[in-house]
Amino acid sequence: MAKIAMERKSIIFWILLFIVLLLVLFPIYWIVITSLKIPLENISPIPTFFPKKPTLGNYMNVFEGGFFRYLSNSLIVASSSTLISLTLSFLASYALVRHRFPLKLNYIFLIWILIVKILPPIVLAIPLYTLFTSARLINRLLGLIIVYQVYTLPYCLWMQYGFIRTIPIEYEQAAEIDGASKTQVLTRIVLPLSASGLVATAIFSIIVAWDEFLFALLFIRDPSLLTLPLRIVNFITEHETLWGELMGIGLLATLPVLLFSGYVYKRLTLSFSMGLK
Amino acid sequence: MERRTDLRKNLFYYSIFIPAFAVIIFLTIYPVFSVLYMSFFKYKYLFDIKVFIGFKNFVRIIKDSLFQTSLFNTLIFSAVATIAEVTLGLFLALLFYGRFPGKRVFLIMAVFPMMISTMVVCAVWRTLYHFDFGLLNYILKTSGLKSVGWLINPNIALFSIILVDIWQWTPFAFIIIQAGLNSISKEIFEAASIDGAGYFNTLISITLPILSKQILLVFLLRTIDTFRIFSKVYALTQGGPGNSTETVSYYIYRQGFTYFNLGRATTASIYVLLVISVISVFYIRNIMREEA
Repeated sequence: MAKIAMERKSIIFWILLFIVLLLVLFPIYWIVITSLKIPLENISPIPTFFPKKPTLGNYMNVFEGGFFRYLSNSLIVASSSTLISLTLSFLASYALVRHRFPLKLNYIFLIWILIVKILPPIVLAIPLYTLFTSARLINRLLGLIIVYQVYTLPYCLWMQYGFIRTIPIEYEQAAEIDGASKTQVLTRIVLPLSASGLVATAIFSIIVAWDEFLFALLFIRDPSLLTLPLRIVNFITEHETLWGELMGIGLLATLPVLLFSGYVYKRLTLSFSMGLK
Repeated sequence: MERRTDLRKNLFYYSIFIPAFAVIIFLTIYPVFSVLYMSFFKYKYLFDIKVFIGFKNFVRIIKDSLFQTSLFNTLIFSAVATIAEVTLGLFLALLFYGRFPGKRVFLIMAVFPMMISTMVVCAVWRTLYHFDFGLLNYILKTSGLKSVGWLINPNIALFSIILVDIWQWTPFAFIIIQAGLNSISKEIFEAASIDGAGYFNTLISITLPILSKQILLVFLLRTIDTFRIFSKVYALTQGGPGNSTETVSYYIYRQGFTYFNLGRATTASIYVLLVISVISVFYIRNIMREEA
């Protein structure tokens, strides 16, 4: 027991743990302090581990450089695409769980969903670009919201399908005997029972959309429509060493997601401890 | 009467299923067929050339040394990153097993890298890797070693990107393997210990076999994700120096969106689809076995 579990943690354990945490946390620490240094200090040949003259100047520049516009673009795209996926996937998953469609459609559809999750998105990019160009959806946030369904919809479908399958059918049957219509069953019984699953799905979907880069790069040209990941990349290529501002944008872009980390940790642990999801 | 309610029910199920179904057809099935169709054409968008050439693209692409390089780089990237992440994830899970003060806080901290937006991760590593002002080279220089061209040496750049991926995604492998490890009942270890099994014996003959499900799953998920590597390449090296960090996704991107050579880009996509279909067979079999 003691051997495998190391119940009584030895000094070696603490040293290893310290090294691991150092490696994990140092780059994050570096993001923070770099964002607080003046530009000159960031390109000094002797890097400093603590800012000599801590400044919020970088953040002021970031805010003046249109940060809130990029933030709102990202928020609009991530939340809208998640909302659409969540709605569509909730409805479709319920149908897939409770109804057997002809031609083994349930099975084929779910397999296809898995394949789409595996597919490198660049494979779909050329036809989608042509399609969206002819629909005049290039260079518009709406286009991005729609194309993000490529990521978020399979994701949400798969998760929702898993959640809804665990809801016992008895509640629905009881309600139907009492004369409830299918729509009422769905909105008054299934929806409340799926609430926690919907929250979990939404959080993961938002993270996926928040981080998306490829389609944003291909579909958005107008500088005022950039999402945060796109803005960060442009910043890297335009201002090679304005690291303070770069890290400032980066940190601000990460904070909303970082707040979820406790939840994500719990969720992943839950779903992978028993079976696999 | 009975039949009528059945019909109404059917209608209800179809009407709630069709929206998602339509979106999936429109955004994924149509493009895949469209890619297949285009791959049979010499298709240069800029010059308005579109000529049917049968399988010629497929032969040309497989002979294209740049495509070969990109495929090779992708395989290296995928294999090295996946193996490293799974191994380190396993190591971390074993390290974190059991109780110790502050465990919960340390666990959440260890998850931070995967919560940071990929572009931000790339940004900070670019500063760390910088040849003149980067921290890594500063440490090397003060230790009396030579500076390393992390992102500008063609022999090293690919591995520098791999390192970034490892930093970002080992936590993912860690969480999943850890979850599996915690679900193993403690009695098993106790019994092994009473039987006099040592740490490594227990690890190899008991712990790893029980964890094989989780390990296989992480392995597949990371293989799938590393195979599509694009954004890190774009942000860190843009495929360079030379073509040393060109990956298949980046190759398709350049053929399609820089040279507008749609025939080539779509043919390369078909090859990617073929590789992916091999991976999917394993993945889907694994998932479906769990679902059944």
